[in-house]
Amino acid sequence: MKKQLWAWITWFLFLFVLDFTVPFFVLDDIPRLRGSFLFWIVWMIIAVISMFIMFMGWKNNSVRKGGAAS
Amino acid sequence: MSEAASAWLIISIYVLIGISIAAMARKRMGAGMNEFFLANRQLGGIVSALTYAATTYSAFMMVGLAGLTYKLGMGALGFEFTYLCGLVLVVFFGPRFWLVGHKYDYLTHAQLLADRYQNRAVGIVATLLCLVFLIPYAAIQLMGIGYLLAVVSKGAISLVTAMVIATVLAIIWSYMAGLRSVAWTDALQMVIMMVTSVLTLFFVVYKGFGGFNSFFDRMNQDIPNLLAGSGLFKFNVFFGLAVPWMFFSLSNPQVTQRLFVPKSVSAFKQMIGGFLIFGFIYTVVSVLWGFSARLLIPDLASADLATPSLLALALIPKLIAVIVMVGILSAAISTIDSILLTLSSMCSRDLIKNGFRTGISEETELHIGKCVIPVLAVIFFVFAYWAAGKTGLAFMIAPLSSAASAGLLMAVPAIIGAFFWRRATAAGALTSMIGGAVLVLYLQLSGAKPLGMWPGIWGFIACLILYIGISLITRAPVQKAEEFIGYLEKDLPLYRFL
Repeated sequence: MKKQLWAWITWFLFLFVLDFTVPFFVLDDIPRLRGSFLFWIVWMIIAVISMFIMFMGWKNNSVRKGGAAS
Repeated sequence: MSEAASAWLIISIYVLIGISIAAMARKRMGAGMNEFFLANRQLGGIVSALTYAATTYSAFMMVGLAGLTYKLGMGALGFEFTYLCGLVLVVFFGPRFWLVGHKYDYLTHAQLLADRYQNRAVGIVATLLCLVFLIPYAAIQLMGIGYLLAVVSKGAISLVTAMVIATVLAIIWSYMAGLRSVAWTDALQMVIMMVTSVLTLFFVVYKGFGGFNSFFDRMNQDIPNLLAGSGLFKFNVFFGLAVPWMFFSLSNPQVTQRLFVPKSVSAFKQMIGGFLIFGFIYTVVSVLWGFSARLLIPDLASADLATPSLLALALIPKLIAVIVMVGILSAAISTIDSILLTLSSMCSRDLIKNGFRTGISEETELHIGKCVIPVLAVIFFVFAYWAAGKTGLAFMIAPLSSAASAGLLMAVPAIIGAFFWRRATAAGALTSMIGGAVLVLYLQLSGAKPLGMWPGIWGFIACLILYIGISLITRAPVQKAEEFIGYLEKDLPLYRFL
């Protein structure tokens, strides 16, 4: 589980690095919608899909029955 | 029917429906603090998603973000998406809040911090931090409402009248059934907001430009400077605004309190998934709204007037404009009443009951919490009244929102450390929150931006250094840290939480 956690942390750090660099230093000479607009839309869709993958595996706990957090 | 008459009519209908929903919520309300402030931790997934979205997205989006897009261009999309991507913090920390919330019966994140660090001063300072920095954020909602109603009603409803209406409604809906009434009204309001904002965008694009292809062509031709890279955002402005915003989901108590309330894991998943989808659509709609305003009405005196001015255009049917206006009004109110509820719970629980150890009963605690609501509402109103008359980037809705988040950011290291770092200490938490907040306040009030970086960035750096450094040289509450983190390490895998 810890390896998985660190893999996700690394992935999202990579996404944030892209967020703060690509539009400013790669796409700054593309004055059209196919530049930063397209980048941020695709970037966000990838981030949303990543988050869905992360939480879709969560399960209601069948071991701890009757507890408040079950 | 005149703009003013139709505006008053629709507002009256909205108020009646809202009060009816709040009254229904009141019938199901039980007794006690958990019931009033957390809806007894029993919210379903859909309502949780909608109330999370309505609390987060408010006047800021359709007024503030559209205004920021109007003024500075494409970077506004990246700025808001940075926040949405920051929701990964909820995926990491949400389950941890939820589990310890149930186990230790936490009502607020300040209570969590005070207990985890075994020091009541930590809870008091975390509460004061929220009180100081959430006032501008709540006031912004009132400013957004004021701008909107004044312009759409063509001055028939003044800025001050609009702010008074919003303040009074927020007080009433917070009082009626606490979080249950707030969440139920939020759910309805979020649906209205989404539907009307998307519909109106279609109206603007088809009536104003003849379709999306023509709209996009006009953007490429007429405003290329706003599309290149991040538009007119300088890197330091983008970085300074976006970093505090990225941590919004952990730093703002009105949203962290919502991590305690889903009734099951399934409800939690629905809350996050639903919010991500709402957030994506709503962000794109708000940004396109800002661009369409820039093309149709390029010479506005204030960028925050972009949305109200767009709604006042002849191409938008009057009825639609008024309904959208009420949608934004309601979302702004839903944010204010959520903040009112959360801050009042922090005042009664973390400042009075736990802070000064007054030994008061739960009934008295709840009574105090309810009394704090109108007092805070008046403070919000006074700040909004003062800020609404100011001009410049610092007094625009989006930068003011981010400035509030910059201050709240100072609690984030202590929150993250509480869940992961056994060596963390109360002294580290206290000095990081106080030192970071003082630095942020000083830089914000003086207008200083050393090396061009915004206050939140410098505050966060100082806060991190203080938290780690002071923790390393002071004594940690070993037993509590072991119990708290050990419990999470044992129970997180049972739910397959990361």
